[in-house]
Amino acid sequence: MAFNNRLLRALSPADQEVLRPHLRWLELERGTVLVLPDEPITHVWFPESGLSSIIAMAGSDQGIEVGLAGRDGLVGMPLLLDADRTPHRIFMQVTGVGHSIDGNLFRKVLDDHAGIRKLLLRYVQAYSTQTTYTALSNAMHTVEERLARWLLMSHDRQDNDEIPLTHDFLALMLGVRRPSVTIALHSLEGLGFIKATRGLIVVRKREELEEFAGAGYGVPEAEYERLIGQLR
Amino acid sequence: MPRFFLHIDDGTQRIEDEEGSELPDLEAAREEALGSARQLWAAAILRQQDIGSRRFLIVSGDGSIVELIEMDDALPRSLLDRLKI
Repeated sequence: MAFNNRLLRALSPADQEVLRPHLRWLELERGTVLVLPDEPITHVWFPESGLSSIIAMAGSDQGIEVGLAGRDGLVGMPLLLDADRTPHRIFMQVTGVGHSIDGNLFRKVLDDHAGIRKLLLRYVQAYSTQTTYTALSNAMHTVEERLARWLLMSHDRQDNDEIPLTHDFLALMLGVRRPSVTIALHSLEGLGFIKATRGLIVVRKREELEEFAGAGYGVPEAEYERLIGQLR
Repeated sequence: MPRFFLHIDDGTQRIEDEEGSELPDLEAAREEALGSARQLWAAAILRQQDIGSRRFLIVSGDGSIVELIEMDDALPRSLLDRLKI
């Protein structure tokens, strides 16, 4: 079976066969918590679809999204970096499917197979570029621009134009209160870029949305394609 | 917990809060509207925009309007007084 996960797909056929017997297919329901703050990480996940959100916590019940990983990436990056836990919380915000691999087995595979290790380290570089541009956007861009950026990032990681997200999730993604999300969606809708209905956002004019998002979108995506391969 | 909807009305149109949020009571809904109004003001000021004509309609789960919160209600009294000179 061909992989849809971009990292697994980018591996050489020989390296794919190294991993394949250890992968377990599983469904990742919206809301599923994959990683808890400061708890040992037991598995690594390679999503084939859906979206996971990496949250920097402010206390026990508040936080802001600092990273996004879907079929472009993996969840459980600390294991790749010789760490066994993270202060972040990671959960599925859009239901998907994927593969999981036992953490100890994963580390063993990395030790023995430089090709796999190198590709996944290049993903760390691409992901870290994404988070730095999230920092840039959070400091320099309006909520509307950040929402546009976020919708594009989400759109990149799926096949169709319908993004199933509630305003509550978007508020967490953008670190704002819900009415700011309502207003921002209304603005983008007024421009004709999207259509927002309850729990569903439809991307209508992708190119215009990219232009609107400005400097927040494009650089991390180009870096990903340079280091890994096709993102969308 | 009861569900409250925070619709925004600018005099000509109403921007619907389609999902609403679960909040402990009306006081919490009021605080949410005031905090949100400050956030909207902050963004509006950066755009040199006046949103003083907008208001929040706090609507309960059964659809009835339980309170109006003017955007101005979220600003410090002294600031409003100065603006009205």
